[in-house]
Amino acid sequence: MIRALVLVLSAYLAVIAQDFLPAMPFFAGAHVLLLPIVVCYALLWMPFPGALGFALYAGLLADLSSLHINGDDVEIGLGWSMLYYVLVAAVLNLPRWPVSGLRWETHCLVSGAATFFLLTGQYLMVCLRRHFVFDLAVLGQIVGPALAALLLSPLFYFFFSLLPGSTQRFPGGRVAR
Amino acid sequence: MKSLHLLLLAVAIVVALAFLTFAPSRMRSWQSRFFDVSSPAIQAGAVINDRITKMNKGFKTLDELEAENAALLRQNNELRASAQLLNDLAAENRRLRDTLGYLERSPFNLVPAKVISRDSTTWWSSVKINQGFAEEVNAAQPVLTADGLVGRTTTVAKNLSMVMLLTDENCQVAARIEETGDQGIMTGLRSAEEATPQIVLNFLKRNADIKPGMKVVTAGVSGGVFPAGIPLGTVKEFRTRELYGQAVIEPAADISCLEDVFVVRGTK
Repeated sequence: MIRALVLVLSAYLAVIAQDFLPAMPFFAGAHVLLLPIVVCYALLWMPFPGALGFALYAGLLADLSSLHINGDDVEIGLGWSMLYYVLVAAVLNLPRWPVSGLRWETHCLVSGAATFFLLTGQYLMVCLRRHFVFDLAVLGQIVGPALAALLLSPLFYFFFSLLPGSTQRFPGGRVAR
Repeated sequence: MKSLHLLLLAVAIVVALAFLTFAPSRMRSWQSRFFDVSSPAIQAGAVINDRITKMNKGFKTLDELEAENAALLRQNNELRASAQLLNDLAAENRRLRDTLGYLERSPFNLVPAKVISRDSTTWWSSVKINQGFAEEVNAAQPVLTADGLVGRTTTVAKNLSMVMLLTDENCQVAARIEETGDQGIMTGLRSAEEATPQIVLNFLKRNADIKPGMKVVTAGVSGGVFPAGIPLGTVKEFRTRELYGQAVIEPAADISCLEDVFVVRGTK
């Protein structure tokens, strides 16, 4: 329960904190995204109904903090991140994967992949609204945050694992190793 | 169990899709409320970030001094660090005096604001400032510094507003080359090799006599957001595209490290 509450609070703090992190100049000014790392941990750890609730909550936070309303035009509307994280929760929980359970390696790979597909999806939606541009800078802006998520996720994993109940089974969820 | 999960998944998808049907005005009102609730956390984050940045600056200066004066004693280093701190304070004092001076001499009715965070979004370029409708700041108001235009407000909460910067591809400004009178539309570029996004002035005449160093100001079209004559930057390069001329612009205001800005509420 404590870990679930900490995850809820962490998602909120991640949304606030990621705006203060400096851009990565070697990845064309891309930003480090902390929220997908927290979300992926929660989705891997929680039982499916909880994961769905968390996905909706985190998606709402992500959309509200980054929504860009230009007059009456919204390129990526409120709800897209919610939909995305719900689909990630479904992909992680519904099929039977060869590697099961919450492991740091799984969290690491899932965080990187979730960030990569989130930014790729946003990029494609922006391209549909504006025009198509693709070069090394765009690639860096997608791959950079994904790599950052990959590298930072073990820190988050070990922090969350230190919390009370980390070795216990979340009701209906998975065992943390 | 599996069918229950599928049902829950369907419900979650429906909830997300319901949010997608919101009108932009409703989305803006939700975002405004979110900013109201998050404003204390964002302001606290800005204070912490400010302290860390200042601390880092201090360490960097010390490193530089140590590199230059390897033989100096520890006491000397402390004295130099103190002098540096005084210099920083003097520079801040000068900056604040300039700010105050601009506030008085500007023809506009301005609301001074401080940039508290830079958004972590990848495909847009925006910052948050610490003024909102409590100070009569509204959506779509120009934001500038003493050097020139910076952008315009989008979502406004009570004590916090989001500002779309000139470097955003969606922030389009009718601009004029001061020397030649040529007009075009200024916009940011989504993709730029440099960390700082570039700004270009599109739809100029292909045979326009535009040279590097020429000043660019807002054209001030009727019914537009930006008043005429606000400095935007200088021409860095002029190139001809298939159908029109395009000038690369060096922004007048340093958009990559904004601190103090003003929101234009109207003219005096």
